[in-house]
Amino acid sequence: MRNPSSLKRDFLKKWLMGLQIYTTTNRNMTVADRKRAIKLSADIALASSRNCATRWSRAVIAGTSVHDGSFLVANGLLGRAVCERIKQSSSKITRSSWSSGKILKRSRRVGRRKKCRKPAAEWIARRLVQKRTRTLRGLVPGGEFMDEVSLIEETLDYILALQTQVDVMRCLATTAYVAPPSL
Amino acid sequence: MNRALPEMSNTAENCVDTLTVLERQRARFKWQQDQLLYQQQQLQSFNGMMDYGAGFPPSDHLTGFPGFMSAAGAGGDGGLSLVEMVMGAVKPDPGLEDGWSDPSLLLNPPTAYELNSSLSRTSSCPPAVNPAAAAGRESFKKRKAEKVQNPINNKEKRIKASSEEEKEEEEEEELSKTTDQNSTKNNNSTITTTTNNNRETSADTSKASEVKKPDYIHVRARRGQATDSHSLAERARREKISERMKYLQDLVPGCNKITGKAGMLDEIINYVQSLQRQVEFLSMKLAAVNPRLDFNVDDLFLKEVFPPPCTTANFAAIGGISSEITDPSSYFQFNRNNQQIVPCCGLEMGINTSDVALRRTISAPVSFPENFLDSSCLTQFQGSSGWDVDLQNLYNVGFDQGRSSNAFSSQPYTGSMEGSNLKMEM
Repeated sequence: MRNPSSLKRDFLKKWLMGLQIYTTTNRNMTVADRKRAIKLSADIALASSRNCATRWSRAVIAGTSVHDGSFLVANGLLGRAVCERIKQSSSKITRSSWSSGKILKRSRRVGRRKKCRKPAAEWIARRLVQKRTRTLRGLVPGGEFMDEVSLIEETLDYILALQTQVDVMRCLATTAYVAPPSL
Repeated sequence: MNRALPEMSNTAENCVDTLTVLERQRARFKWQQDQLLYQQQQLQSFNGMMDYGAGFPPSDHLTGFPGFMSAAGAGGDGGLSLVEMVMGAVKPDPGLEDGWSDPSLLLNPPTAYELNSSLSRTSSCPPAVNPAAAAGRESFKKRKAEKVQNPINNKEKRIKASSEEEKEEEEEEELSKTTDQNSTKNNNSTITTTTNNNRETSADTSKASEVKKPDYIHVRARRGQATDSHSLAERARREKISERMKYLQDLVPGCNKITGKAGMLDEIINYVQSLQRQVEFLSMKLAAVNPRLDFNVDDLFLKEVFPPPCTTANFAAIGGISSEITDPSSYFQFNRNNQQIVPCCGLEMGINTSDVALRRTISAPVSFPENFLDSSCLTQFQGSSGWDVDLQNLYNVGFDQGRSSNAFSSQPYTGSMEGSNLKMEM
């Protein structure tokens, strides 16, 4: 684990770079546009500050698209070659695991019919955990294609990154607020 | 061995729990030998009864056994109570089986196994029952109990004697013992001729799995746990998950007191969602604050926020000024801003001192209630001057709420969530 303050600095630098790339591409934006730009560039900066070593960050990079400009930011922050490679590999992964996931689902459904005879409490507890795991998969980027162990690992890492992001953004927001009255 | 435990607790000392497996094995062996001696005495004195007991067909125990018992009980005084007792001893059996039935299920067909276990249990239980019985009836009951016991235990003894050298085993080989036992129990049923092969093969397979095991995963099957590769892998996976969950528990605030995977996952999900919402909100806030999207403050900001010692002093000074201000009307806005800075200041101090402190300080101010973002989204399209004030109001209120309520109300909240989910599942 890196030093959190250095991670913060890294994130902030990349975020501001990403924002600059955004502002050079389109000049006049509404509040919603600006918000989306800030959000996307912050996400990409977060992912790139983790050096794409984790799966969620790769999923974030792979999720960038050309038409909303986030791909440009990702390119600017990471370099074109890295982005292309990540995109290709992740698309391969998602496609293959998607099909196997379907098969798995079907087989699970078959198995569930048998399990109905199991003790009710155990069955309910397992169902509850399954449900929550599914929700967590939806929350962590790229979590749909992880097994449970790596999902929890990635969640750990993602939470740390999100904490960093929130801290930096809050600091920036407070300083941005302080600036007008002091001027 | 597992089967022997309940009666062990009666016959041997009460400190069975603290005994090692090896000691348990030895004690059990001793007990069985005592039983054998006792039975031989009984054999001599009750030959006729013995014949009757030996004639009892072992293959259909479940149906034949109660009938047999009642038939035997009809002759004597305490027969009925004995039947009840023995049946009471039989009944808890399925519950006991649940915990450790896996390895034997793999080796024996389940139906035969159940029959065997019920029989062997009844055969070994009566000595445990007997001390509790009335003194007057005791001898009679014993007689009957032994009668059931004798044919079985004799056979068992024969096999035990043949495999006696194997009995000097360490703790690690307990599994092979359990399988050994299963197969000896198997002996009690009709398949006496094939059991030797059966026992050897089962022992072999169990030993093979134990030899393979330590090469890759360092998981040890405890007593009664399955040892085939699938369940081993599953157990390793589960241990890994629980380990990661422990880390997550440290990371997510308010997750320490929650036991159970579902509750923890709930808390984690809530936390991740709150963090994501916060990012949304903050980006919205930043977008509203500077319309040109250029943060010219970056150099200044980097200097101000990250290099440590002077900034904290600076913030503290501002805090002191804000506390000195007594005229609320003119400096209202200013005061607000400083209130917002104070948690931030604490945060930076945490960063500068140590990482542990950072975690603490981060965990305090981060969580926001759900309505926070929604209301801010609603007020988004108001005029920019009013928007700022509104936002700040919301910010402070929401912040206080998040701080005060999240620590206390998260527990009942998740509880009710689970309750509703439970209902839905039902």
